[in-house]
Order: sequence, then C-alpha cells, then structure tokens
Amino acid sequence: MSTVATRAPAPARPVPPAARGRRRGGDGRGRGGRQWWIYAVLIIGLVITVAPFLWMLLSSFKPDAEVRQVPPTWWPENPTLDNYRDLFQRLNFPRFFANSVIVATAVTVGNMVFCTMLGYALAKLQFPGRRMLFGLVLSMLMIPTVATFVPLFVLVSNFGLANTFGGLILPFLAAPLGVFIMRQYILGLPDELLDAARIDGAGEFRILATVVVPLCGPPLATLGVLTFFAQWNNFLWPLVVAQTEDKYTLPVALALYAIGQNNARFGLLMAGAVVIIIPVLIIFAVLQRYVVQGIAVTGLKD
Amino acid sequence: MSATERPAGAAVAPAGQPAREPDARRRTSGGSAGPGSDRRRSRRGRPLSIRAQRAVAAWLLAAPFFVLFLVFFAGPVLASLALGFTDLRSTDLRHPFAVNFVGFDNYTRLFQDETFRTAMVNTAIFVPVTLALTMALALAVAVALHRGIERFRTLFRVGYYLPYVTSIVGVAVVWRIMYQHDSGVINRVLGFVGIDGPNWLESTTWSLPAIILMTAWRGMGFQMVIMLAGLSAIPSGMYEAAEVDGASQWQRFRYVTVPMLRPTLLLGAVLGTIGLVQWFEEPYVMTRGGPLNSTLSVSMFTLNQFGFGNYSYAAAASYVIFAVMVALTVVQFRLLRSNT
Amino acid sequence: MTGWKRPAASLLVTALVAFAVAGCGRGDNDETSGGQAPQGISTGPATGTITVWAMGTEGEKLSVLAKDFEAANPGAKVNVTPVPWDDAHNKISTAIAARTTPDVSMIGTTWMGEFAKSGALDQTPAAFDKAAFFPGAWDTTVVDGASYAVPWYVETRLIYYRKDLAEKAGVQPPTNWQELKDFATALKDKGGAKWGINLQPGGTGSWQTYLPFVWQAGGNVMDSSGQWTLDSQQMTQALDYYKSFFTEKLAPGSLQPGQLESMFVDGQIGSFVSGPWHIGILKDSGGAGFEQKFDVAMMPREQAGTSFVGGSDLAVFKDSKNRDSAWKFVQYLSKPEVQVKWYQTVADLPAVQTGWNDPSLSGDPFLSKFGEQLKDAKSPPAVPTWEQVAAVIDGEVEKATVGDTAPADAVKAMQEQAMSIGTGT
Repeated sequence: MSTVATRAPAPARPVPPAARGRRRGGDGRGRGGRQWWIYAVLIIGLVITVAPFLWMLLSSFKPDAEVRQVPPTWWPENPTLDNYRDLFQRLNFPRFFANSVIVATAVTVGNMVFCTMLGYALAKLQFPGRRMLFGLVLSMLMIPTVATFVPLFVLVSNFGLANTFGGLILPFLAAPLGVFIMRQYILGLPDELLDAARIDGAGEFRILATVVVPLCGPPLATLGVLTFFAQWNNFLWPLVVAQTEDKYTLPVALALYAIGQNNARFGLLMAGAVVIIIPVLIIFAVLQRYVVQGIAVTGLKD
Repeated sequence: MSATERPAGAAVAPAGQPAREPDARRRTSGGSAGPGSDRRRSRRGRPLSIRAQRAVAAWLLAAPFFVLFLVFFAGPVLASLALGFTDLRSTDLRHPFAVNFVGFDNYTRLFQDETFRTAMVNTAIFVPVTLALTMALALAVAVALHRGIERFRTLFRVGYYLPYVTSIVGVAVVWRIMYQHDSGVINRVLGFVGIDGPNWLESTTWSLPAIILMTAWRGMGFQMVIMLAGLSAIPSGMYEAAEVDGASQWQRFRYVTVPMLRPTLLLGAVLGTIGLVQWFEEPYVMTRGGPLNSTLSVSMFTLNQFGFGNYSYAAAASYVIFAVMVALTVVQFRLLRSNT
Repeated sequence: MTGWKRPAASLLVTALVAFAVAGCGRGDNDETSGGQAPQGISTGPATGTITVWAMGTEGEKLSVLAKDFEAANPGAKVNVTPVPWDDAHNKISTAIAARTTPDVSMIGTTWMGEFAKSGALDQTPAAFDKAAFFPGAWDTTVVDGASYAVPWYVETRLIYYRKDLAEKAGVQPPTNWQELKDFATALKDKGGAKWGINLQPGGTGSWQTYLPFVWQAGGNVMDSSGQWTLDSQQMTQALDYYKSFFTEKLAPGSLQPGQLESMFVDGQIGSFVSGPWHIGILKDSGGAGFEQKFDVAMMPREQAGTSFVGGSDLAVFKDSKNRDSAWKFVQYLSKPEVQVKWYQTVADLPAVQTGWNDPSLSGDPFLSKFGEQLKDAKSPPAVPTWEQVAAVIDGEVEKATVGDTAPADAVKAMQEQAMSIGTGT
C-alpha cells in the first residue's frame, strides 16, 4: 500500500475534451475494408454478453411454472404481464423508488463534494498528515465490510439514526474510491492555473470552486455513476437500518416479495431485476462518454 | 500548455525511496509561488504563514471526509479489530464487553481450519485466473471499440457494460438454467461441436471454472470502461507515426498500445483484485460454495461465520483477507513497474 | 509506508488497552435462567403501539389480522414491518446488538437457541398452554428448559409421489424403509420414471431431509445431557440407507431450482420428500388436472415414523416497552379460529392442534396427512450453534452421497466438528 501512497503520483495527462473530440473525428480510421469483421466479432461478443440478460428479460414475461420448466424455453410460450402487475401492485413502488433515489442521490452528491475537497487537498496542497490521510483512504478500500458491520450498526443506532435517512446515507458519504479518482485527476491539472488564481488573491476554497471543479466534469461523472450504482443495488445495510417499511429501498422491497422461506418466485425476481436496472442504464448511456474520460486520467503510474 | 507533453513515467522513483510527488509541482510552479507569498507575508508580517495557511486550508478541505471517516469507519474498524482478539458470539450481543480476551486464538484457529484453507486455495486460483480472463476480454473489446469502429459505439458500450449493473439475484437464475447438465444452453452448444459437457455446477472439478466464467462475464464491463479510458488517452499521433514506420497492426498493439496502457492496466488490476478478493456474490447465489466447498471463497467463508454468529472469528478472517489484499497490491505495483 | 502505519498502530494499542480495561471477561450473565418462573400478563385489553417484524408473505399479510386485533382492542395499534427472508437473521442479530428490537418478531425455528441465549427474548408467560400446540413445534421454543416463544405456524415433510406411476408399477405407498426402497425401485423400473425418488444429496438444508431418517432409526443428534451424538450407530444406519438411494441410482444428484417440479410433472422423478408448499407449486406447474396424478404419503416407520417440523415462532423481546400488549397480540394469533383464518389468508398451517378441526384443513386430502404427520414430527435441538452444526451435517451428507466417503466416516467427521463447535453454552 505504501507503494500506492508514494508512487501513484505522476502527473496524469488530461487531454482537453476539445482536443479529444477532434482526435476522435479525424482519427484516420478510414480503413473501411477491414472494419466489417471487427463489427462481426463485436456483434457476436455482444450477443453472447447480452444473451443472459435478454433471457432474463424474456423470462420476466413468463409465468413461474414456465421459468422452472425443463428443458427451458427461450420465448415465453404463455406471455404474461402478471409479474410486472404483481410488482407494481404489491410493492408500494413509488415509495421504494423514491427512497432509493433519495439515498443514492444524497450519497452520490455527498461523495462528489467531499471526495473532491479531499482529493484536491491531497493532490495540490502540501500539508502535514497528507500521506497518512491518503494511506487511510486506500486501506479503507481493502477492509471487508462484513468485519465492521455490527459495530457500525450499533454506532449508528446509538446516534439515534436507526430508521432514518441519515442512517442510510451518512456511513457511505466518505468513500475511498471517490477520493482516489478525484486525486488522480486533479494531480494532472496544471499548477499554473491555480497559481494564477492565487496571485489574484483567491483562497483555496475559491480556487477549488471556480478553477478546479469546472475542469472536473469527467471524474465527477465517473465517481457519480459508480457511487450511484453501488448505492442503488445496496441491500444488506438498508435492510438492517430500515426498521419500518416506509424506509425500504427497491432491492430490499423486491427481496421481500420474491424470495420466500422455502421457495422463490423467479418470474417476479426477474421482473424486479429488469425494473431496477433501467434507471441505471439510462444514466450510464447518457454519461458513459464522460465516465470514460474520467477514468482516462486516473490510471495508476509508477 | 497541458501536461500532455510531460513524458509518461517521468516521476519514476527508485524503489524504497518514496518519491515526493509535489516535486513535479514545484518544478513547474516554483516560480509563481513567490509573488503570492510575498504579498501575504507583507500583510501578515510573518514568514512561513503561507505554508501554515495552506495547511489550514488543506485540513479544512479534508475535514468533512476525515470526520466521517473517523466516525463511521475508523471506529467500527478498531472495534472489529479488537473483536478479533475475543471470543464474542452473537449470543453475547447484549453484553459485548463481557467476553474473554483470547489473544491470537482466532487467528491460529483459522489457519488450522480445513475449510478456511480450502477457501484460501480456491481464492488463490480464482483471483488470478478471473482477473486475467476478465482483463484480456475487456482489453480485446476495448481495443476493437476504440479503434475498430465508428458507429453504434454507445450501443456497444452499454451492451457490454450491461452485465456489470444487472442484479446478481435475477441473473443467477438464468445462469443456473444455462449451466444445466442435460438441457442447459452451454452444454447444447458444446454438443454441436461434439463435446459432452460436464454437469457444471455439480462437479467439484467444473464448478469453479463455471463460476469464474460467470464472474468474468459480470466484471468485463467495468474493466472495459477502464481500458477504453486508458486507450482514449493515448495520443493518436503515436499510431500514425508507427503506421508511417510500417508497423503492422499487431506491432502497433504490442509496441504502442500495451506500453502506453500500463498505468491503466495497473489501475484495472488493483481495483479488480480488490473486488475479486472480496468476491462472494457469484458462489453465494449459484452454489453456496459447494459442491463440497469447491467454490467457497475466503470472503464467503467469512460471511458464513458471520451468519453463524461467530463474530470474532469472522472479524479475524476479515483481517487476514485485508493483509492478503495489501500484499497483493504491493506485488502488483512492483510487477507492473519493473518490466518495462 | 510508515506515514500512516504508526498512528494506526498506536490507535490499535489504545483500543486494545481500553478493551482490556472495559471488558472484564465472561461473567455469570447467562440470561436464560431456566429455573426462574416467567412473568405473567396483565388482564384487560391491549393498549399502545405494538411493533411487529414478520418475514416474507407473513409480513405482507399480517396487517389483515392486526386490523381484527385492533378492532377488539381499541386502545392498541399494531405496526407490522415485513422483512425479507434474505438476511432476516442478520437484521434481528444487529437489532439485538443495538437494542433496536421490535416488540414482537417472527423467528425461524432454528434461530431460537441463538436468540434466546443472547438474553434478548422474554420468557413465554404461563398463560400459554403448551399442550395446545404440536409437541414438536413447541420444542423449538424451549431453550435450557424454558420456553421463549410460541409456535405460530408449522410445516412438516411428507413423501410426494406420482399416483399414476405407482399404479402402473403396482405398488402401494410405503410404510417402512424396505418398502420405501422397493417403492422407489418400482417407480423407476416399472413406473417408467428416470429416478424413483429425489432426496436432497447435500447442500444447504439437506439435514432437514436426512435427520428424519435418523429419528426413524431411533437415533438423535443430541443425548439428554446435551452432548452431540452425531456418530451414533443410528446416524450411520440412516446415512447408509440414505446413501444407498444414490449408489443404486434411484435418486438423482443435486438439482437446479425448478428442476424437481418440472421433472416430477414430466414423470421423470417418481417421488420426493418435501413440505406443504409444494402442493401449490405442483398444482401450478402441472396445470389442470395434475392434482389427480399425485398424492402424499406419511413418512416410513422403522423404530418410529418421525418427520421434521419447521415453520416459525413468535417471540416477544425483553427490551419491549409494551410487553403485556405484545404478548396479548401473540395470544390473539394463537387462537384456533385466528390460526384457521391465517391458513385461509396465506396457507400457513396452524401450530395449534385444534385449529386442524376446521373442515378447510381436515377435509383437504393432502393437508389432512400433513396434520397427521405433525403429531410425530421433531425439530433439532434449540442450541445457539445449531445452524453451524447443521452446515457440517449438510457437508458430510454431501461427501457421502456425492463423494465416496463411507457413512461411518462421515458421521465420525460430523461428530468431531460438532464437538469442536460445541453447543454454545
């Protein structure tokens, strides 16, 4: 780990988005004749990759008995919307959806703010304790959550946060991966920009807000997407913290109806999985370009 | 103007002697720090205050994260570390302090525990194989997506990314059906080419490969995004120059893409390893670690002990995992640094 | 490297010192004080808010009964929180640690030992009549001689078989081990099934299928002094018998979820051992008229004809601020007529014996046999380490059925591991 702390540094290379766009356009990839087989391979790969998901999607329109059937069917033989109807009728869907959105959004925004602040300090400011902080951040990545689970819940409920949004959100606001991403990106920003602002008398907070953050679109997109996904699918913590149903998030609510003591309702399970993934996919499709840019300059270097 | 001109790897430091990264900063910005500090010094009339001011600002910036870290992470971590040296079980939960201090008992017991050793061996096979497979697939897809095609990029990216965000519980049902012995899709496809497929999930030999395949499928999207990112940072001029020099496509890949991508590969490997060492979802939903513990991972072992209420034992196992992870990360840095 | 290590190390030392000072070792704080008499319950209607946790469908539908209860007790309000089965155990454990437990919770029967031992559960008041419940079900609530919950609903295991295949093979439902073996053989050889019977070969929960055979052989997993007896001669005998279905190719190996039902409907599997939930699944999977094609039979009798009893209990937590009303709600749920209504709401079988007099249960050809079997059904000992020992049994059963471990060696291994795990006392 020390290696990370001491050698990760390296000025990364932020290619200004404009330059990248230009490059992409004039990439000289006009080798048309060779492209068809790349498409062919990619499409075959895509089909294999997406097939299990497609099957899940199709199965969500099958009655349970058909999902269990051996040999399995590909197309639904008796297509039905029952699973979705069940999902929306039995689940207080708007409520759970809203809870999921609130928790995931709050955690994401919090991470964007706090990780950017610390990331900036770690990248651009020399101060006592800097290396210790970075070491702590990295060690956070490596401690299995199961170890700290019970102590954390005891703590949270002693703060009176059991069954509150605070209890669902606060423990995740300080996530190590975000600091890591932000630090690596900000390291690569030219110091001249900051120094120019300092000459104008700007304090560090102002520099961060007016100079650094506007340049941080890509890593913030990366951080945002990764954090949002992780929270969106989080199960065990919301289950334990929520003491009443009105604080349940979507995955918790879904498990409630789809998985029984001695049997599971496969159709419902799959319909739920399909519904849960949709917002996440939309976000990724919109932001994927920035996400890629964000990671582009996060590469670890010696 | 941008840092692009800096040669990659400029900050390589001799092993063992920590590179002070702000060196790079000082190199480029040393001159401009002067005027600012002069101005402030004259106002406050105290030398060095600029450093102190920066330190204060830095700690203020770090404060929210650090406070959250101390409260919600450091506290529970210390508690669980201490827990690892006691014999606390779930039946003690109402009186967590009325337990015995047992020293390193949990740790010595772990290494004598046959199940734990099996889990260690499985993990030792699983992590490198899955990581290599996932990264190779992701690299291939990323290279093809990046330089091979112009249309439908979003479609392909979203498609390949899809498994990463799909709920494991839903998709596990589908994979179990695909792995069925007689009627599963995978064995039927193998049957077309004359291979009599094994009973994947029920075989102590084939269950781990089956789970590895599924894990690679799920993890590929994440690695692909990382690789795409790394590729997009390689100046296209380098390819053009190589092409002018008559380098073949393979040579361009070998001598331009791979070396330029090393930082990205390292990032992918480190994040991938951290994820895989903590891996338990796939075996948990697919095989519960069976048959005969052939797919039991260390993290799943820990989770099982947690479920049994052996909290101290589970905590001890967690810190063994932590130690392994730290060691692996150090090794990865050494490996990917030295073989230029 | 040393930058962060030093502070971390010093923090660790501080924590350990603090711990050594604060933690004074295991005192005599065993809260399952078996000798002590339980507290009574006040008379009069229930009042105040009663919070209840219940899992899965039970949690979803319990509010139906809660409304009736509130109508009868105008001063009371019941708040039900449905909890997913997945990780419900962890949710209750962490709630006990943080003392954020509800007033009442549904508890899986095999969790009783653990939660009662933690001291989190209130002793069952004497107002509950033990004799009203199925004895096997009541036993799930008894830890160290005292009861800490009340059985809510029950399930037991019977042999499901294809009536049409049995007729074709010319065999009657089995009454002892030899007949069961012959039955499975006939279903396979003459009935045309690929497999005569399905027994879970290993993996999570296979002990629930295996232990009934141990009980039928006259054995037990624990003796009266609370020592594990997993290597007894009866354990070996039962595992020998169990394994023989696999070595004689009468039973398939492990099946994927859904495969069992589908193969039974197709006639590929002639019979299997399972609980009442399969009635609904089979009617569903088999389509119209399939319920004419299958039936259930009682467990075979050797020394005994015992089956496994599972289900869930209702417990009141010690930290409850509304204890008396909480127990009154449990009392209400234990009334025979409410148990019948509960059956009609979610198909959970009554734990109260007189509930079975209702025609909706006694008149049902499938269910009446479950009711009959419940009179001779056992549960594993309610010790805190049971889940862990059960996992050991699952693993060793698998080694014997799927692997080639001899049953005698497998039970020896079970006993060794169980002894090192202990009984949590």
